[in-house]
Amino acid sequence: MKKPEKLLRSVSVVLGLASTAFFVIDYFIFTRLRPKMVNFEAVSPAEEELMNWVGIGLLSFLAFCLLSLFQTAKFLKNARKITLFSLFLIVSGVLSLLFILGDVALLSDIGKQYKHGLAQPEWLVLYPVMAFQFSTAIIFTYLHFFGFSKEKQVKHIARDNNIFLVVQYVGVICGLLGLTSSSLRFLFPGATQQVHIVMSLITLLMPYALAVGYWLITKLQEEHRQWYDEKQIQDIGKSAFLTLFLSVILMGVVFIINYNNLSGVVSLLWFPLYLFSVLLFFSLGNLYLTGKD
Amino acid sequence: MKLGNHLRKYRFDHDEITQQDLANAVGVTRLTIHSIEKGKFNPSALLALKLVRFFKVRFEDIFYLVEERTNE
Repeated sequence: MKKPEKLLRSVSVVLGLASTAFFVIDYFIFTRLRPKMVNFEAVSPAEEELMNWVGIGLLSFLAFCLLSLFQTAKFLKNARKITLFSLFLIVSGVLSLLFILGDVALLSDIGKQYKHGLAQPEWLVLYPVMAFQFSTAIIFTYLHFFGFSKEKQVKHIARDNNIFLVVQYVGVICGLLGLTSSSLRFLFPGATQQVHIVMSLITLLMPYALAVGYWLITKLQEEHRQWYDEKQIQDIGKSAFLTLFLSVILMGVVFIINYNNLSGVVSLLWFPLYLFSVLLFFSLGNLYLTGKD
Repeated sequence: MKLGNHLRKYRFDHDEITQQDLANAVGVTRLTIHSIEKGKFNPSALLALKLVRFFKVRFEDIFYLVEERTNE
């Protein structure tokens, strides 16, 4: 194993162990704070300071998630094929990363509602979300510690396909989450604000941007004309056509449904709907066409 | 008419070279070789010639035309 790889692995293991420990500590902090906050009892400054540890824990988990996704992508580059377990790793890694921002939002809402004397139903969401992140931290720490299986690896791959597929899988996850969250906002038009839409756009596009960024870095050593092989170009062309067709239909339906209220919430939501549907259709199309043959 | 091929046979006759090794030799992805073998993807003239040159055979040895049946 090369020195930088060894260092990366050691850092990942340390961050993984730290994140796992922080999730356990968080559980005890929440167990202490929750009854007080739910019953609107006074929280001492020392107890308030405990929340700083939660923040540090989330930061360490953020770094761990990014490192783990990077290591997974690096491993998959030379993998014989993308297995169900690899897919599970990508999905849980991306979701855990997105959930960190969810944790921050939930904790901030809980704090605000406590100060205003309001109920805090967010606790019910926070626990399962953090339990999911905790299990992801354990799985990735185990993988970093014992190493990703090298048995199913190919020594040399002249033209990559796996990273291309990983980008499509991440595109499907982000597209699906973005489309769902944008559609759900139609149910709560009063609560939809421009700043929330911009924040969710940035948040949900971040994993896709990271995946595309990694793919671009791997491609920089190659000549631009060789980024795709001829079948990939054909598949991309077909899925681009499919995307055009389906996104026009979807946006047409959105336009017709909101025809009598075009200045309403749809004036804020049309762009996220368009963006995430294009991302979803294009990524799904590429995956389907690659897998079909 | 469709383009058929004996790529799989030639791969096995050629020390059972893997799809990945053949893909590396001609500069495409493994899935492209897989799709050509399955008859789901027609290679470009350039790729077909690269494959032919790799196996050191004539074009017609690997590729052939398949008449498609029509309902008359």
